[in-house]
Amino acid sequence: MPPKYHIRTATVPNRFPAITRSGVIAWEEGCLKCPRCVKRECVYKVYEKSGLDPRHMTESLDHSCKDCFRCVQNCPMRLIHKSLDPKYKALGDDYWTPEIVTKLWYQAETGRIPVSGAGYGGSFSGPGFDAMWTDMSEIVRPTRDGIHGREYISTLVELGRKPMALAFDTAGGISSVSPPRVEIPLPVVFDPPPWSPPRRRINKAFLQGAKALGTLAIISQEDWDPDLEPYVDHTALLLGQGPHTLQPWLVQSLRLVEVPEGAHALAWQETLKEINPDLVVSIRLPLSPKAAERALALARAGVEILHFCANELGMEEGDAPLFIKERIKEIHLSLVEAGMRDQVTLLAGGGIAMAEHLAKLIICGADAVAVDIPLLVAMECRVCRRCAEGVACPVELEEVDPTWGGARIRNLMAGWHSQLLEVMGAMGMRDVRRMRGEMGRAMFFEEMEKDLFASLGKRG
Amino acid sequence: MNIAIFFCQQLDPEQDVHRRALEKELGTKIRFFPMPCSGRIEAIHLLRAVEAGADLVYLITCPEGVCRYQEGNVRAGRRLTHARRLIREIGLEPSRLRLVVGSPPLPLRIDELVRGLLSGDSDAGPCVSREKVAVTLAQGDGLLPMSDGKGN
Repeated sequence: MPPKYHIRTATVPNRFPAITRSGVIAWEEGCLKCPRCVKRECVYKVYEKSGLDPRHMTESLDHSCKDCFRCVQNCPMRLIHKSLDPKYKALGDDYWTPEIVTKLWYQAETGRIPVSGAGYGGSFSGPGFDAMWTDMSEIVRPTRDGIHGREYISTLVELGRKPMALAFDTAGGISSVSPPRVEIPLPVVFDPPPWSPPRRRINKAFLQGAKALGTLAIISQEDWDPDLEPYVDHTALLLGQGPHTLQPWLVQSLRLVEVPEGAHALAWQETLKEINPDLVVSIRLPLSPKAAERALALARAGVEILHFCANELGMEEGDAPLFIKERIKEIHLSLVEAGMRDQVTLLAGGGIAMAEHLAKLIICGADAVAVDIPLLVAMECRVCRRCAEGVACPVELEEVDPTWGGARIRNLMAGWHSQLLEVMGAMGMRDVRRMRGEMGRAMFFEEMEKDLFASLGKRG
Repeated sequence: MNIAIFFCQQLDPEQDVHRRALEKELGTKIRFFPMPCSGRIEAIHLLRAVEAGADLVYLITCPEGVCRYQEGNVRAGRRLTHARRLIREIGLEPSRLRLVVGSPPLPLRIDELVRGLLSGDSDAGPCVSREKVAVTLAQGDGLLPMSDGKGN
């Protein structure tokens, strides 16, 4: 039996003081000079340890305060207030919310699942992935407790085309040739983010993270640099120009190459296979209303991996775009109907912001998921998109130390892996490959709403 | 000339987006420090900004009578006066620290406000005696009323 997959983590401290939800405002004028000051009574010694980061003008008061409000309540002159921090409010956007960003930071720092403590007060539904609830019917079965249980839960997936049947020769040996496959122990590959400061160091950090986890990072051809050669085993090269622009040794060393969809895609695949028959080729295409149709055509043409990319908010192209989970469901089901689902690997990405999105997209039919922005967030990105506008990155991502970045990405993925195990344990699943397309094990709010209330609108 | 701008978030809830064009235009010459309330400012913040390279430091507060915390803007004004006194003592021009009271109605656009300030204030010139500020900060006299752990 192969060794169990386990991600070893260690705390990797932030470079910059983390932005927290609120800030302390304390008036000094009017202080009664009480012999027992609430500041001295702070159980976390926040005021005693306070200091200023002069580069960002941030007080340690803000990021070490645990929001217990004891000082606010007990100061006799009510001189201390708490207020929302404007920097917290400015993190991300409506999709990449400040809560998501700060929880990703926490996971990247500690490698642990973020726990909020006092239960969940709602909301219980919302747009996108929030309109999907996973089955937790086996949550009380301790042997399948994902992280600490006795039964091993596998998160290994294979990328590539799979044979539907084996052929045997007269001597009983297998005569059919098995297509090449790449095994990754976590159903996650790293994708180039839609925006970032110059990527030289960022790519190296992605690759170091991919190496630590045993997975792959997709690196675009124009970003490829001889510095990255030690990581070739964990690189999936995204071709921008034809295969003839690659050195043969590189094609022979790579395990996976991604080709953008287009008239030349299948010809490029063939050329690459001639140089390296063990290479797995993935076709990258945008998620669109015609995606299911394209998926069927490409699967029939012998494509090994279909990589569908939504935008950073998880939406497809078009005038009335669908969210990624809806379109992936459709693609998956159309492949099932055509009897081709198990032949081709479906990779999907765009708008994957949390561990639950990973599990939910797999339930909707993806074999594995491409993650992009969270990897930058692991390295303290604030999703401000200043880099896309040509404004300097507030956390100097272009100068990031790749070793530090790789360790933060490893930690984040360890947190996601633990959460994936939790979800699968609660569903009673022992293999992530079994979870793919298990839509019967999830509830979809839109469908339930339709079932329950559609009849109310009927007349007669 | 390097400029540091401390301002209350209540002035412009969309400040993070509005200030980007200015940040792109001026690069590292301008630094914005949004605050939950301008009353959050301490003398040390203003002096640290000068020490870190700012030739001009602005503190922009809400108009009188509209502070979310009743009197944060008034307190901010007093703290700036205190900081000005400190830098005068060490021989720097107090005019390097400037108080700007936003005009009603709120919200304002922080970029428009700052552009207005910059067009009128190009005469300050670079600050040449920054090391004196560093010495004052090292001594710390009268700078950290909020952070001495004793509530004084």
